[in-house]
Amino acid sequence: MKKLLRRVVLLGAIAGGIYAVRSYLQGGSVAVESVQMVFDDGSTRSLASNTPEGKEFADIARRIVEIGL
Amino acid sequence: MTERSGAGAVGDLDRVLADLRALSEDIESCAVLSEDRSLLSSSHASAVDRERAGALLAALMDLSGKAVREGGKDYASQLRIDTEGGHLLLVRLDSGGVLAATTGPEARVGLVLYDMRNARGEVDRVLAEGGEQ
Repeated sequence: MKKLLRRVVLLGAIAGGIYAVRSYLQGGSVAVESVQMVFDDGSTRSLASNTPEGKEFADIARRIVEIGL
Repeated sequence: MTERSGAGAVGDLDRVLADLRALSEDIESCAVLSEDRSLLSSSHASAVDRERAGALLAALMDLSGKAVREGGKDYASQLRIDTEGGHLLLVRLDSGGVLAATTGPEARVGLVLYDMRNARGEVDRVLAEGGEQ
């Protein structure tokens, strides 16, 4: 029983490790794109592309950068 | 390429954008969109590409307007979007339109924005002269 439990824990650790490495390699939820708005009063607003609003901006911008203006 | 070619002052828009691209080598393409979302000038020669770029830019202006209003402001004077493929930069014109440019990922964005802000006055002047005719 003890041996089985050890194996389950070991398998869980391996699966967790694989998931962590995979997420890291795929970028996970880390924002690689960003949006920054600057207003007349000098204030700014930033949106990360891993937010729904930022994703909309990033999707359109990516296509514009691809085809050019 | 100016869509409304023939109107002298508005035709100067191509020259202003060509000057901007010559000055700021990091700019890969640029365009001017009016407040009513008409594409006044673009780096594209083909009408299909111009139309597509104009539609995407108009969609972005609408989205930006919505986000700005949600934040309790009237408009953003500058918008910068960084993507893996490069940067998209928008500078608001006095007329309510935008001067937009794309750059590669390694561009000196601060310098490009500085050049765009400097060119903004000239674009506005040309548009104002075009409107008077």
